[in-house]
Amino acid sequence: MSDFAGMEDLLQDFLIEAGDLLSGVDNKLVDLERTPQDLSLLNEIFRGFHTIKGGAGFLNATELVTLCHLTENLFDKLRTGELVVKAEMLDVILAATADVRRMFSELERDLQPTPAESNLIEQLKLALSGSLGAAKAPVAKPSVAIVVPAESKGNGPDWDAYYAAVTGEVPAVSASVPVAVAEEEEEAHISDDVADHIVKSAVGRRTSDKPGYQGPPGGRRDGERQRDNSIRVDTARLDQVLNLSGEIGLTKNRLNALRSDILNGKNDTDTLHALDLAVSQLDLLVSDLQNAVMKTRMQPIGRLFQKYPRIARDLARSLGKDVEMVLVGEETEIDKTMIEDLSDPIIHLIRNAVDHGIEAQNERLSAGKREKSYVTLEARQEGDHIVIIVSDDGRGMNPERLRARALEKGLISDEEANTMDERQSFNLIFLPGFSTAATVSDVSGRGVGMDVVRTNIQKLNGSIDIRSEQGKGTSFVISLPLTLAILPVLLVCLGEQPFAVPLSMVREILPIEPKEVQELGGRATMVVRGEVLPVVTLAALLGWPQERVPEYGVLMQSAEQSFILAIDSFAGREDAVIKSLDDFRPKGVAGVTTLSNGQIVLILDMKELLSGMGDQRVITRAQLMLEGIAVPAAA
Amino acid sequence: MSDPKMKFLVVDDFSTMRRIVRNLLKELGYTNVDEAEDGVVAMQKLNSGGIDFVVTDWNMPNMTGIELLRAIRASAPLAHLPVLMITAEAKKENIIEAAQAGASGYIVKPFTAATLSEKLGKIFEKMGK
Repeated sequence: MSDFAGMEDLLQDFLIEAGDLLSGVDNKLVDLERTPQDLSLLNEIFRGFHTIKGGAGFLNATELVTLCHLTENLFDKLRTGELVVKAEMLDVILAATADVRRMFSELERDLQPTPAESNLIEQLKLALSGSLGAAKAPVAKPSVAIVVPAESKGNGPDWDAYYAAVTGEVPAVSASVPVAVAEEEEEAHISDDVADHIVKSAVGRRTSDKPGYQGPPGGRRDGERQRDNSIRVDTARLDQVLNLSGEIGLTKNRLNALRSDILNGKNDTDTLHALDLAVSQLDLLVSDLQNAVMKTRMQPIGRLFQKYPRIARDLARSLGKDVEMVLVGEETEIDKTMIEDLSDPIIHLIRNAVDHGIEAQNERLSAGKREKSYVTLEARQEGDHIVIIVSDDGRGMNPERLRARALEKGLISDEEANTMDERQSFNLIFLPGFSTAATVSDVSGRGVGMDVVRTNIQKLNGSIDIRSEQGKGTSFVISLPLTLAILPVLLVCLGEQPFAVPLSMVREILPIEPKEVQELGGRATMVVRGEVLPVVTLAALLGWPQERVPEYGVLMQSAEQSFILAIDSFAGREDAVIKSLDDFRPKGVAGVTTLSNGQIVLILDMKELLSGMGDQRVITRAQLMLEGIAVPAAA
Repeated sequence: MSDPKMKFLVVDDFSTMRRIVRNLLKELGYTNVDEAEDGVVAMQKLNSGGIDFVVTDWNMPNMTGIELLRAIRASAPLAHLPVLMITAEAKKENIIEAAQAGASGYIVKPFTAATLSEKLGKIFEKMGK
């Protein structure tokens, strides 16, 4: 049974909003380290913890309330100048923030947060009392003369009585306790019975709203319930969608009227002109609507970027480096599903930059660089792509060393190593099992990672590229489509039948000249600019009989390999709207799309096709060229 | 004596909290609720009229709840409006400050529909006098 029966929606809202808030707090903490006296920062952080506490109270998350309460109090003293920020204190605060995040993840799993470590609470209390490290001793509080009445019901102060105490009207106060005591017992407001009542009333409300409500539907708690379920959309954008659908409705009416006119034999110039106009208008409106709907899924990438400065700071500190993270283009918008899937790859790139890219302090100094280093995380839109760049001003990559390393690990052959250019050498780090760190640190360098980064980016139909200059630094450039809903495809034909392949995998198109096809190791290959590439026929991949000699080769590049896909002809390129085949999904088919002429075309999943075929995809030159094989009569 | 059609303005920068308050009000039968994310937005909505009751958080960016309260009391057309302050604090300074600024009531988070109902009841009672 969930700890939050009946409150799932509320919990989810809270987690999304409070999660953002906490990321903001994390960021501001990193800033605070540089400008510990910044009053507006202190105020904002105070308000962050305060707001989280308020929400947590309604969820009955007592432990979260306690932790936030202590941290908030600490910031209250900091912002009023009663205490000053010290390094030791900041460490405690950062630990507290991390623990708040841990509690969020427990809440995500529908569990009431477990208490913070007693050590952390202790430290916070020490910091509060000013006795942590060399913090200033707290100013003694002036004694309070005003008395307030004791609480009778345990659910907040009796306002009337307070009011009376303050204004002096009807001071009908019998039993009084000093304010100081009430203050210490602030947390009593989140007493069990009150909280219990909230839960009960919340459950009661929900069950009465939904007759027959039997608790959360099965399976909802597993997996990725917190993801994808909801999205915050600017109402202006929704209004735009509404407006456009309204206008499309009107245009549809116009078309209906014109249709009856035409069916009734009215086909003069004016009518046809009106039809032309209406169709053009519909065309415009529909593409506007598509854009508007897509926009509802777009979120500023800043939400994702926010959490990185903290990660970079913690890591840099543990490595004894002085790294500042610079964020650029946080307002760039990107599809929400991509934001979630980009989180881990970017973390990895940042860790990589701080750990491997940035030199150790002494190395930097002896290279004549300034001690402080910068890792920049930048996002921007370039045409129909989003570009995300993670760059550092570290030592840069050494192509020779990379090749030697790959050779040593047996990932490439001598011959391959000798023919590699700089860019290909950089790309070696994306090979599974490649790691340049001589010793495996707990940060990065486990040998899994960069290959996963690339695989994840490619899953989003994106690509990743490396630019690096020795001594100057390295940039990882991620390029992503604006949305996953529309996939630019190349239409290739086998006989008369077109198939769509993702354009992101296509590097170039070349004619297949029989004299350039060579047999190497029992398989057909072609040499493209010095690179030996295997030729794979689309027919073999699909298990179709090959009926003629393929005319064209499409140079395809995927994470694992580059190869030439041999096809008969092309039908052009299109922006395909992908329809997934949920119930019936043949292997190697990513989905279907409808062409402008109404024809239905399968979108091929090359990776799956390649992995599924095993040795069948290896074809000899003779097979490719249909030499010595009777050509089946074309159907 | 309280009109279920009366229009509430819930002011809080944390949308989850606005939703909580909105739900609690709904539970008490008040469905006519507008929201504002801080004091500045609240003042705009108040000035355009139609609001009968203000429920506001204390701690907000741009314009805090107490500043909003003072602005309401200082504005002739709005001065009569009941204002219920919500806060996580039960600190005496805050309570005194709210009282002196002219708050109609003060409620501490977290609270139940019953508590809210009781506070509203007291305010209506005072207004009816």
